[in-house]
Amino acid sequence: MSSFWKKGLSTINSQLLASRNLRLALIGCGKIADQHLHAIHRIANCEVVAVCDRELLMAKQLAERFGIPESFSAVEEMLGLVKPDVVHITTPPQSHYLVGKQCLEAGSHVYLEKPFTITAPEAESLVEMADRRNLKLAAGHNLQFTPEMIEMRRLVKSGFLGGKPIHLESFFSYDLGDETYARALLGNRNHWVRQLPGQLLHNLLSHGIAKLAEFLDDDLTEIEVFADQSPLLRELGEQEIVDELRALIRDKAGTSAFYCFSTQIKGLNELRAHGPSGSIVVDHSSGSLIRKPNRSYKSYLTYFIPPLVSAREHFRNAGMNIINFGRRKLYQDFGMKELIERFYNSIRSNNPPPIPYREILLTARIMEEIFDRIYPERIQKSEITGSRSEVRPATGGFAVANASDRAALARRYSGQ
Amino acid sequence: MTAEYFSRSDRILVTGSSGFIGTKVVEILLEYGFSNLRCFVRPSSQLARLQKTIARFDNRSNVELVAGDLLSRNDCQKATEGISLIYHLAAGIEKSFAGAFMNSALATRNLLNAFLERGQPKRFVNVSSFAVYSNLSLKRGALLDETSPLEDASQERFDAYGFGKLKQEELVRQYGSGRGVPYVIVRPGAVFGPGKRELSGRIGINTFGFFIHLGGSNQLPLTFVDNCAEAIILAGLKPGVDGETFNIVDDDLITSKQLLTAYKSVAGPFFSIRVPYPVAYGFSWAWEKYSHWSKGQLPPVFNRRRCSAEWKGSRFSNEKIRQQLGWRPRVPMTQAMAHFLAQFESNRG
Repeated sequence: MSSFWKKGLSTINSQLLASRNLRLALIGCGKIADQHLHAIHRIANCEVVAVCDRELLMAKQLAERFGIPESFSAVEEMLGLVKPDVVHITTPPQSHYLVGKQCLEAGSHVYLEKPFTITAPEAESLVEMADRRNLKLAAGHNLQFTPEMIEMRRLVKSGFLGGKPIHLESFFSYDLGDETYARALLGNRNHWVRQLPGQLLHNLLSHGIAKLAEFLDDDLTEIEVFADQSPLLRELGEQEIVDELRALIRDKAGTSAFYCFSTQIKGLNELRAHGPSGSIVVDHSSGSLIRKPNRSYKSYLTYFIPPLVSAREHFRNAGMNIINFGRRKLYQDFGMKELIERFYNSIRSNNPPPIPYREILLTARIMEEIFDRIYPERIQKSEITGSRSEVRPATGGFAVANASDRAALARRYSGQ
Repeated sequence: MTAEYFSRSDRILVTGSSGFIGTKVVEILLEYGFSNLRCFVRPSSQLARLQKTIARFDNRSNVELVAGDLLSRNDCQKATEGISLIYHLAAGIEKSFAGAFMNSALATRNLLNAFLERGQPKRFVNVSSFAVYSNLSLKRGALLDETSPLEDASQERFDAYGFGKLKQEELVRQYGSGRGVPYVIVRPGAVFGPGKRELSGRIGINTFGFFIHLGGSNQLPLTFVDNCAEAIILAGLKPGVDGETFNIVDDDLITSKQLLTAYKSVAGPFFSIRVPYPVAYGFSWAWEKYSHWSKGQLPPVFNRRRCSAEWKGSRFSNEKIRQQLGWRPRVPMTQAMAHFLAQFESNRG
């Protein structure tokens, strides 16, 4: 067959696959569910056929507002009757593993909101289960797919950094001044966020850690953690919740990464990647990407040229954002829509999912190691392996015990 | 003041009792001599104002403060144990629809269930809001009263609070007709008074960094906090009004322009620009269309429904509540305004 016909057939085939209508369901009808449904609304050839919440009234209000035909209060019943192709799980994280397992057993692909699971073994188990059943999983690391992160990935691939990153920095700030959230969280000892092993951090860390996991090797050699309370929490008399975190991570290949989570710093949400020949700064707050080639200038030019180059970068970003606004691409949940759409396409074409399982597992492992250092007394009983007592800090900093075992599993998925 | 069907030994529950209106409800109940009170508050509530209020009364020994979460069935059962009358003021001030629904409708459902299980239900007074009304189909300046249409597209109006309140009302009516809970619904207008410094959104907005005055010469559905609290209390005590709905607005209502002028005179001058209703409506229409076309690149914060509800201008009446509950505003409008404005006196140089 000539290459012309082959190309034509391949195009028709991918168009057919892309147009396959996916039947979707959503479990957990809280605040984040609206975001999922708005994102799905932008994606062609898919239809939300059912929503489910332990509290039927919650499912009904969501179904009513979005014109969804079916609402359920029991997951099993919904999966049995509706048989969705894909299930979005937006329940509190404590139920992610069991609900995810139920959905996989029923033959549905699963999009799990962050944090993916409570423990790393649970994440590993879900990934293995999905693989065995030829189903796909996505983790809700939607910030990985903002326009600036997509551009960053393209630049790294094109060799802008001059090789593997030497050092990474991820900053994530969270404003506890959002009174509704802070009041609900601090005032209610039974709030699901407080029940997480890593409490507030457990709910908010994954976005920033996932960005580092993309570039770190599976063999981690060191994790140093510093955690504290902000003055605000101390003033409010909060006893347990930690809301300031700094972590230093190093992998076997020598790449180092710094992670900063803060409720005191406002509006900082960045990834910085430094390589031998250049650096990239991704700023989510302003939807910008700044390129910094490692270049020196003679004499006083070093004070004149680089600021002008930086200014050009900022103008370029402003221009791009204006153009994207005109093209209706500058909406708040672009990352979520992009991730979901890529996930659906991977299902239709049976290609690897948008977030490699290696990264999902590494993110889960790093988070677990961090929480183990901050809250050693909150050792978790995993749904699948009992206590995770095998993971203990070693002497001389915080070397990751049995990291090689975990890394071996993660390597299985590193080719995706 | 004691109703025939209700004795002073009956126990009363006030939810949202540490709030702006709730504290006043507790105060006036104590004033009336209803001291067999249970005040339900969130664990995170600031209690200083409520505690200070209660401390002023000698008959406070039976006043109980119970902290809990209405989303917890156990907490609801504790709250309603032995209760005959509930003033349900707790509100879900949430930006998200799910959050507003949870804290309004679900919380109310839990409370009603617990009331049936653990209480001796004589009446459930559901405090709702003018946010449930839609005046999209009404003419400018038409009368908005208890018979006016309710909002049927809260999502389009982008009003999570109104959605929560509508669903809450629906539930209360269902429990009334299906499970026999005697209820009264009250819908206060814009409640004002000392302790609340913000101007009602019906006057205008600060969204773009300066004050846009949109209310013009519209009449405002104001109710002074003391008057509102007393109306709520009467809705619980008056016999023979089960299943009724009452709007709460004061007499001698003033206009948006009058209130803004008075406010500026004490809070200090600030730049404001007057935007006529047709311009606001056109802007809202364009914003709504763009929001729809761009699939929410700009959320529909401005839309025709909201514009109508807040700035179209209606007339308001308290005829029904006056006739059926015998309510009269205890604080006249001029005095109420003086109390409200006094809190800004210190701002004057």
